[in-house]
Order: sequence, then C-alpha cells, then structure tokens
Amino acid sequence: MSSIETTPVAGRVRAGGSPEIRRLLREPSAVIGATIILFFAVLAVFASWIAPYDPNAPDWMAIRAAPSAAHWFGTDDLGRDVLSRVIFGTQASLGAGMVSVTVAVLIGLPFGLVAGYFGGLADMVISRLADALLACPFLVLAIALAAFLGPSLQNAMIAIGISAVPVFVRVARAETLVVGTEDYIAAARAQGLGDLAILTGQVLPNVLAPTIVQATLTMAIAVLAEASLAFLGLGQMPPAPSWGAMLDVARQFLSEAPWMAFWPGLAIIALVIGFNLMGDGLNDALNPRH
Amino acid sequence: MRRVATVLTAISMTALALVSAQAATLRVGLQDDPDALDPALSGTYAGRFVFAALCDKLVDISPELKIVPQLAEAWEWAPDGKSITFALRKNVTFHDGTAFDAAAVKFNIERMKTMPDSKRKAELAPIASVEALAADKVRFNLSEPFVPLLANLSDRAGMMVSPKAAGEKVGEFAAAPVCTGPYQFVERKSRDLIRVKKYPGYWNAGQIGYDEVVYHYVPDSTVRLSRVRAGDLDLAERVAPTDLKIVREDANLALHSGQGLAVAHLMFNVGAGAKADTPLGKNATLRQAFELAIDRNVINRVAFNGEFLADNQMIPPSSPFYDRAHKIPARDVAKAKAMIAAAGMTRVPVELQYENTAGDTRVAQIMQSMAGEAGFDVKLLPMESATAIERYMNGNFEAYIGNWSGRADPDPTLIAFFSCAGSQNVNKYCNKDLDVILSEARGEADEAKRKALYVKATDIYLTALSSIPLYHPNWFFAARKSVGGIVMVPDGLLRFTGVKPAN
Repeated sequence: MSSIETTPVAGRVRAGGSPEIRRLLREPSAVIGATIILFFAVLAVFASWIAPYDPNAPDWMAIRAAPSAAHWFGTDDLGRDVLSRVIFGTQASLGAGMVSVTVAVLIGLPFGLVAGYFGGLADMVISRLADALLACPFLVLAIALAAFLGPSLQNAMIAIGISAVPVFVRVARAETLVVGTEDYIAAARAQGLGDLAILTGQVLPNVLAPTIVQATLTMAIAVLAEASLAFLGLGQMPPAPSWGAMLDVARQFLSEAPWMAFWPGLAIIALVIGFNLMGDGLNDALNPRH
Repeated sequence: MRRVATVLTAISMTALALVSAQAATLRVGLQDDPDALDPALSGTYAGRFVFAALCDKLVDISPELKIVPQLAEAWEWAPDGKSITFALRKNVTFHDGTAFDAAAVKFNIERMKTMPDSKRKAELAPIASVEALAADKVRFNLSEPFVPLLANLSDRAGMMVSPKAAGEKVGEFAAAPVCTGPYQFVERKSRDLIRVKKYPGYWNAGQIGYDEVVYHYVPDSTVRLSRVRAGDLDLAERVAPTDLKIVREDANLALHSGQGLAVAHLMFNVGAGAKADTPLGKNATLRQAFELAIDRNVINRVAFNGEFLADNQMIPPSSPFYDRAHKIPARDVAKAKAMIAAAGMTRVPVELQYENTAGDTRVAQIMQSMAGEAGFDVKLLPMESATAIERYMNGNFEAYIGNWSGRADPDPTLIAFFSCAGSQNVNKYCNKDLDVILSEARGEADEAKRKALYVKATDIYLTALSSIPLYHPNWFFAARKSVGGIVMVPDGLLRFTGVKPAN
C-alpha cells in the first residue's frame, strides 16, 4: 500500500522528469515568478547591449536630471544614467542571490544530510551550531560577517551565504530524518550499500526538492540582504552600480530627485516578488504533500 | 455673559503674561556629541561649539580673522618677540563666583601645559613661564618668538576655567565645567543633550538674549534640518550643501553662511612605509599631472552644489597670508597625459582611500572619473570613519581624502602637514628648506615679512604636492527667523553676544 509513497524520487526521475515540469507549468505563480526572474537574468547577462549608457560615465552637465527622452529614468547625483545603472545593478543583485545561495546550499546540505542520517553526536554538534547561528537574526549576522570580511561585493555574497547556511542544515536534516525511516533505505542497507552510497544515491535525491524550494525563497532574502549591505556601504564598491547602494545615495535627495530612489526600489521589489512566486510555485509543484 | 467675557479675558491675559515671562530658550541641533567638556582635553568641533557658550577666551577672532579682545582687553609684544603682556578685563567672575585675575591665567596656562592628557601642550609649548604682574596684568615669557600664540589663545588654549573648581574636582571637571562664559553648565545627558543657562554675573550679560541654550545631538543633517523646519529646534549647524535650496525656500528659516577655515585635500603617501612605493608616491611630476587631470570647480559644483569654495591652497583665501599669485591651475588633460608619458607610463594605478561619508564618496568618484581620462586608474577604497582614521594616522594608504578643520593662523596647519615632524604629516613628506621657512615664519612679527615667507612655503608645497588641496567648506547654519543677531565667524562657532529672540 505504501509502494507509491516510498518510491524514491531518483527512480521516478529516471522514469521521466516531465510530471514535475508539467505540474510547475500549471502553477500560475511559478510561471509569473519564472518570467520575472528570466527578465532580470536577460538584463544581467546582456546588460552591456541593453543599457543605453555606460553605467559609470558621469555627465557633469546633467546632475540629478529628471527623467527625459535622453535619460528615461533620469540621472543620479553624478549625472550617471539611472536606467543603465539599474540594468547593470541586476548583475550584483542576481549574482548575490545565486552565489550566496550556492554557498549556503554547498555548506548546509551536506551538514544537514550527515546530521539527519547519522544522528547522535554528529547531529547534536551540527544542530547546536546551526541553532546558534539561527539565534542571530539573519541580517544582523550578515552585517557582522560582511563588516568582518571587509566591504566588497564578493565578501557580501560570502557573508549572506554563511548566514543562510543554518536554514539549509535544518531543511536537509529534517527531510533526511523522514527519508531515513523509509523502507527503500532499509532495503538499500540490506543490499550492503555503504553509508556514502545511500546518502548520495537514495537520500540526496529525495532531499533535493525541498532544498530547491528553500533555495528559491532564500534567493529573495539574499537579494534583499545584498541591497541592505550595499545600502550600509558593505557591498558593491563605488562606482559599480548596485540597487542597494543606489538607494543609499538617493536617500539624500528624496524630495529633490525621487527618481533616483524609485527605480532601484522598484527593481528590488520586482525581483524579490519574482523569487517568492517562483518558490511558492516550486513548492506546490514539487512537494508531494500538496 | 459679560462676566464670562471678563473671566475669559483675564485667563487669556494671564496666559499671555505667563508665555512672555517664560524663559527664552534657544534649541540648537549639533551633528556630533561633544567629547570631554574641559578645554584642556577637548578634541572635537562639537566640543568647541558648546564652549562658545561656556568658556570665554583671552582673545577671540573676528569675522575678518583679526585677533580681538575678550578676557584680555589689550596686549603688547616685547620688542624681541620673546614675551607678551596682557591687560585683563576687570570685574570678571567665574560661574562659581570666584574672581578671574592674573593668578587664574597663570593657573590655567600651567594646568594645560602640565596636565597629563592635555591636548593643548603643543599649542602652548613655547610659553616658558607665566608671571602675574598685578591682578589685571599677566606676562607670558616665551622660549622663542611665537607669533601664532594669539591665534592659539583664541581657541581652547585661551579658555579660562575656575582654578577653584578645577582644583576641587580633578578628573571630574569635564562633567560640570566652570568657566567665565555667558552661560553656565546645567546638565548633560550623554548622546542626547547639553543644557546651559544664562550666567547673571557675566561681564557682558546685557548682550546675551537667551536665558537658556539646549544643544541636542542630532547626527543626520537632513533630520537636523527637518526639526528646525518643524519648529522643534531653533538652529541647526552644518546643514548639507545639497539641502540649502530647502532652507532658502522656507519662509520661516534664515540661512546663515560664512567662509570657513577648513580644507579638504588629497594626500599622497610619499614616505610612510610600503604604501609610499607607488608611482604617485615617488614622482612629484605625476602628482602634478593628477592635479591637472582634475577640475576643482566641477568637484565643488557636482558634489556640493557649488556651495563650497574650490581652491588649491591649504589656508583659505580669507587669511591675510593666502597667496593670491598661486591660482588654481586650469584642467588640462592633454598636458597631464604628456606628463605621464614623460614619466615613461601610460596608465598610473593608485588606490584612493576615504571615509564613506556622502560628500567624500562623491568627491572620490568624481576624481576617479576625471583622473581616469588622463590615465590614472583610481581604485576606490571607502572605509567607515574609525578604520579610515586609524589607517590614516598609521600612514596606511596610497592616497587619502583628508578633512582638516583649519586654524585662524596658517602656522598650525602648515607645520602639522608639511614640517618633517608635523603631527599630521602621516604621509611623511620632508623638506628641510621648508622646515626652516616655516619656523622663521612663526617667529616673524612683521605681517608683510611673514607673508613673504608663507608665499615661499606655498611655492614649495604646491610644487611637491604631497597633498593636493581641493576645496574649503563653507559654514551653513539654518535658523528660524525668530533667532536674531547671528554673526558667522570663520571658525564656525555660534557666539552668543547680540543673539536674541527677533521680535
């Protein structure tokens, strides 16, 4: 009776990956989210072709110029084209999302697997460490780490990544605990498979789906965190554009040049919503409990 | 009905009487929380700002940067320049009621010269001894002629504290300072406010218009201005140049502005450790090329809405010792490129460190862009203030945007930055000829001869360009129109003589 429930994901994938994709395409939120992310991804990759100006080239004669035909989004405090800076800023935001979440998954997933699979002392040490990190608010931890590592986009990505590790430890550990009790794991053991083979061959594929959902949602948090760190001067170094850093400067000219704050703010909101919708959609499509 | 009207009138009359009898309070927004309120220990502009209410000085500076009497009514240099005699103001008392006299002056100078952590030692170093000749006459004997002494005495080194209070409360004086100024200390809430009230025994009490002054610590300049606009403060110091339009357009506000003494300059590490080993650190021609690559007027216009003063010298044009012959060189990218080529290079790398304040961040990016056109690859390295200052003091930088508050006399600035052992000479520039000229100038009482010496000094430091002066900030106070009598002085401090409610 439990044959369907206990079929390992790996086995299902081998039988054909299309059901997940089809289910995903039926989720409107996932489609909208993916479209938004794709839009920004295209902006980031083809920034040099799309942006009308060099994002760092100042125009001393057009300081804080209002939106016009020449500068659709206006110019900033040094006369740089805001549209071009928002487009190039996508690279920092998306990059921060991707890199920091990759860092977090690469560290958090193995530790979570080990903690959930072996239990005992390993579980206790790893879980307590993760709890200790979780006790610190995400952004506070990221700020502390970024300040410690020194201001740069790369360090901001690492800081955000490390701050997000405990979430992935938790998710991976919880899923591993569930999977570990399944019959097919016992069967694998009975066949004489080693721990490593079981972890990578049987447990990991089943833990992957919730991890991907979590990764997508964390991506949204990472984009916000990068903007926050840049806002505090701990992210992207000037003059390279970053949405958070653009907001930091714009804050001084809110009443005088509101377009300096509006566009990067809108971009942050859009990308974060994109990742959140995508994450929700993935969750609905991949989580068998739904 | 009539009775009701009478009662109402009576109530409103009483209310009016109460309002007019209420003490007039001036609420001031300060950008920084002052440090120790002891003139011997103070090291911040915010501290000096508060001292302007609390502590009178032997002499003061006028808006024209002339030395004018305050606690000393007159003074006379000895012909050899090795002593100066002050005639002191009579009938002056400290806030604790004790008399201000020659003995008090002697006590104060000796206190500042001997107190272990006194920050005034260098400013008073040439004073060998102080003699109280009479109750109102005091002579300073100097080890060498030292003309900048009067300018030094127009700041904290010349502030007189009560010997009785300082003797009784050693180590605690800063918590409740006792001086001779127009206002006396009431209370201080750390990182919040400082309250002072009018001292009725002040020698010039008739000219003091407010009964109480409260200094509120409001670090953000936009917030400071908003609070003045809302009527929550009466005056905000250091309004951002980019906010001046708002002040000018607000019918309830008055903008008080004046030239300052401060200077912002681009320092190059020419001799401090490994970071001096750069093309710009080793080659004065490249530094001259860098100067030609930037346009100071554009920096001023873009970063500060043109509200500051673009300039190429460390001392401001308001100083009588400013060298008008040394004009700002016009931007010349072609010439800068040629100079770089003559040095055998095409691209010159340099790492520019600065405090990550809004102003410096803009200045750094503008310079990066302009110098880049000539061939300088400027890498920006913003730092939060504490780290930046620590690295600055240790000479741990290739190039650094320095912000110096300036002094009324050119001597402290030029000695600090360009003499071989100068306290701010963190980039380790050293020229023995310049040292000789600067020490001659500090002993030269004749203004014309002294000026000639400073012209020579200017020529040397503007050729070596261990530091490229960029601009002089101006002072901007935003005040409610109800505050009358504000006079701007180049040191940027709010003096209270003549300041009173306007209507």
